[in-house]
Amino acid sequence: MSQFMLLVYGDPANWQTLSPEEMQKATEKYLAWTKKSFTVDAKRLEGDAGRVMRAVRGGKPRVVDGPYSETKEVLGGYYTIDAADYEEAVRLALDHPTLEYGGTIEVRKVWGT
Amino acid sequence: MGDVATAEAGPLVEHLFRHQAGRMVAHLARLAGPANLDLAEESVQEAMLRALQTWPYQGVPGNAAAWLFRVAHNAAIDVLRRRQMLGEKTEAIVAELTRWAALRADDPDIDEQLRDDELRLMFMCCHPEMGRDASVALSLKTVGGFSVREIARAFLAEEATVAQRLARAKRQIRLGRLTLEMPRGRELRRRLDSVLEVLYFLFNEGYAAHEGEELIRRDLCMEALRLGRLVAASSIAEPRVHALVALMALGAARLGARVDAAGDLVLLDDQDRSRWDGRLTALGFHHFDRSMAGDEVSEYHVHAAIAATHARSAAERATDWPLILQLYDQLLALNASPVVELNRAVAVAKVYGAGPALASIEALENDPKLRDYYLRLAVRGHLLLEVGKREEAAACFRAAMGCACSEPERRFLKKRLEGCEG
Repeated sequence: MSQFMLLVYGDPANWQTLSPEEMQKATEKYLAWTKKSFTVDAKRLEGDAGRVMRAVRGGKPRVVDGPYSETKEVLGGYYTIDAADYEEAVRLALDHPTLEYGGTIEVRKVWGT
Repeated sequence: MGDVATAEAGPLVEHLFRHQAGRMVAHLARLAGPANLDLAEESVQEAMLRALQTWPYQGVPGNAAAWLFRVAHNAAIDVLRRRQMLGEKTEAIVAELTRWAALRADDPDIDEQLRDDELRLMFMCCHPEMGRDASVALSLKTVGGFSVREIARAFLAEEATVAQRLARAKRQIRLGRLTLEMPRGRELRRRLDSVLEVLYFLFNEGYAAHEGEELIRRDLCMEALRLGRLVAASSIAEPRVHALVALMALGAARLGARVDAAGDLVLLDDQDRSRWDGRLTALGFHHFDRSMAGDEVSEYHVHAAIAATHARSAAERATDWPLILQLYDQLLALNASPVVELNRAVAVAKVYGAGPALASIEALENDPKLRDYYLRLAVRGHLLLEVGKREEAAACFRAAMGCACSEPERRFLKKRLEGCEG
């Protein structure tokens, strides 16, 4: 069994037009995912843009406020899951609700697991 | 499992967000004033969003409703501060919001206050100057916790149309300086009538058969029933309020049985009575009993009595059609509407046969509203078939299919048409 990280990206604007009923449904779906037996860890990141540190050749690292990229999608959270291999990890991730709400998931294997 | 393990087991209460949204909007609108309805809605949306962002990872709080309540109040305070609407009045609102945010939400006094807030907002939404479409949209959006998209779907309307209607209604609140004060005396009676009309309209819209969106339409019926019960539980409830709640509950009890597994319409006569919701039927009879207090006989009373007669047929395995016919006669006396006459024809057919029933609706052919009404043609076709006039019946069903109707209705008519030929 290996561990995989699911990096979940989404556009926060996608949530703005949901009705209370739809928000509840979404909450329930996300909740169900954090409770899945293969989920080792689930974390959400703060919605602010964060800070970026960039090495400057021959000088002190530069610290700037986010965002890190031009796209509207931001890294909103991450999961660590157990899966036999990449195929299984991807298959499990395909079921994640964020995909229903226009998000993107990056699946990465944790080194040495 | 780390933090994940703290996520609480058990699903959320059904429609928790929608119902809490309605209550909280009503409450915040009272604290901040109805001119700030947008502020109330924005704050509630923010609270729901926070729940979505935290509950899946930190677990659902023990008292989810109280959590939303507190967060929505704090969000309202943030919005007010952000807008920098300074001044004594804003400070007073912030102080009041702060006080409420700190209260224990399971306090029974709070529950009563919140019910009162919902009622006030609903009565304001049904202000006579508002116009029915605006009242309907605004009630659903605010007290009902429906989104623009959901309202548009329920009424097969464009989202932009619904949004415009809401914007106009809110402008009217500001310009007309509408308040959340309950009207008094005769004005209260009139307002109550318009509230009941809006609820009855909501219910009927939800009850009408339409393709697809079955779920949202069912929600509409249940919301009308919920709001009706809210009025019925208040001190201003009159017997006709209970009559309306009774007819809605008895009708809602049959919702699940009126379409079959294939999504086709099932006529009342052919419905599987065991699929009628016993809990809602019991609720309906409870309010029907309470509607008997006093001498008033409203149209709601008679409609409720008809629904109750059908509901009793489930236990008695037979429908008391003479009684139903009598009730339709009573309804005609209260409101001589051609639609009532059309419905009455079905009872006439059961009691006296299809011939007299046909004669009773002959005049409706000349009614401009009913001439091209699919239901008139469908009823006529049904009666013609019973007296053995197959070809004329087929012509009726064919004509009915050419009228405006929903897909399930059209499929139903097609089946009847095939029945004429077979």
